[in-house]
Amino acid sequence: MVKIYTTPTCVYCRMAKDFFNQHSVQYEEHNVMEDLKAREEMVSKSGQMGVPVIDVEGELIIGFDKERLSELLHITS
Amino acid sequence: MHDVIIVGGGAAAMSAAIYSARKKLSTLIITDEFGGQTSLQPEICNYPGFLEKDGYVLMKNMRKQTDDLGVEIKETADGIQEVSFRDDHGKEIFTLKDKNGNIYEGRSVIIASGKKPRKLGVPGEDEFYNKGVTYCATCDAPLFGGKTVAVVGGGNTGLDSALLLSKYADKVYVLESSDKIKGDQVTQDKLKESGLTEFLINAEMKEIKGKKFVNAIVYKDKTSGEERELAVDGVFIAIGMIPNSDFLKGVCDLNQWGEVVISPRTNATSHVGVFAAGDITDVSEKQTIIAAGEGAKAALQCYKWLNSN
Repeated sequence: MVKIYTTPTCVYCRMAKDFFNQHSVQYEEHNVMEDLKAREEMVSKSGQMGVPVIDVEGELIIGFDKERLSELLHITS
Repeated sequence: MHDVIIVGGGAAAMSAAIYSARKKLSTLIITDEFGGQTSLQPEICNYPGFLEKDGYVLMKNMRKQTDDLGVEIKETADGIQEVSFRDDHGKEIFTLKDKNGNIYEGRSVIIASGKKPRKLGVPGEDEFYNKGVTYCATCDAPLFGGKTVAVVGGGNTGLDSALLLSKYADKVYVLESSDKIKGDQVTQDKLKESGLTEFLINAEMKEIKGKKFVNAIVYKDKTSGEERELAVDGVFIAIGMIPNSDFLKGVCDLNQWGEVVISPRTNATSHVGVFAAGDITDVSEKQTIIAAGEGAKAALQCYKWLNSN
């Protein structure tokens, strides 16, 4: 399961979602601007406040790190 | 071997790629990040003919154009690290190397690697990065709902950040180290209207403090000479941009700010066969529309140069 914590204005979040769509990766989005519970969850999991935070089966990625994501999701471009 | 290698992923790079691909030059774009500064702008109101305003959409449209033209884009972490040359039957071949040691070869190069945010260089800045310290208001402003934040820098970027933050935060300080807020009067007026912003001039940042996250900043009031501490939850740094030109030292002439010096007519750099466009250059204005125009100009001039060599 892929979870992504986002804000509506964050471009790297949009890049990450575009990347998921492009590679048919299903994801669950949590908007931490509105969802305070998700925000707390994101901060406690990652120990920081930058978005996006992406959780791939418990592996945490901070920011849109395409190479690391490709590795975890077994995507070869 | 490519006819032209374009370094960068913003408007200048994309525009150069569109023009060179339409001239049937085999074109490779190498960038650490697609989209450049334009993609971070939520509102672009001065790009003629583009009504959607959203900078990310503008860049995605450009990307669609380069993709449709068959331009290859190589995204590589940290971009190009080194440019060198070798002789091939009296013609110079350019060799570009990325951080992972991958090598790319081209008959010409267009540099469009743009700029990145300047750092403050005070204690706590690195330690609290993404723990209250950020360089991207567009990305992170919504996380500071109901909080107190400081924007460092009273230029246009700083004021735009403050304006965005004033939609979410309870209190916004704008700190400027000189004796005047330099950003547009229109934005200053809007900020004054909102009533949430306090401007502090002659304020020199000294330190960012916190435990797990930022909880205060220390600045020196240059008028009185006193150091003061402000309790804040976030620090947005907006003190200008520096060129991504470290890898060009010894390759072509740079000016005192590290920008690539170009011929305004041809976009040629001091190194024959290397052209440059957009914010990385000493072009007089840094705007998306200008970067796009400069990219086109560099590509057309590069095409002519390739044909005559």
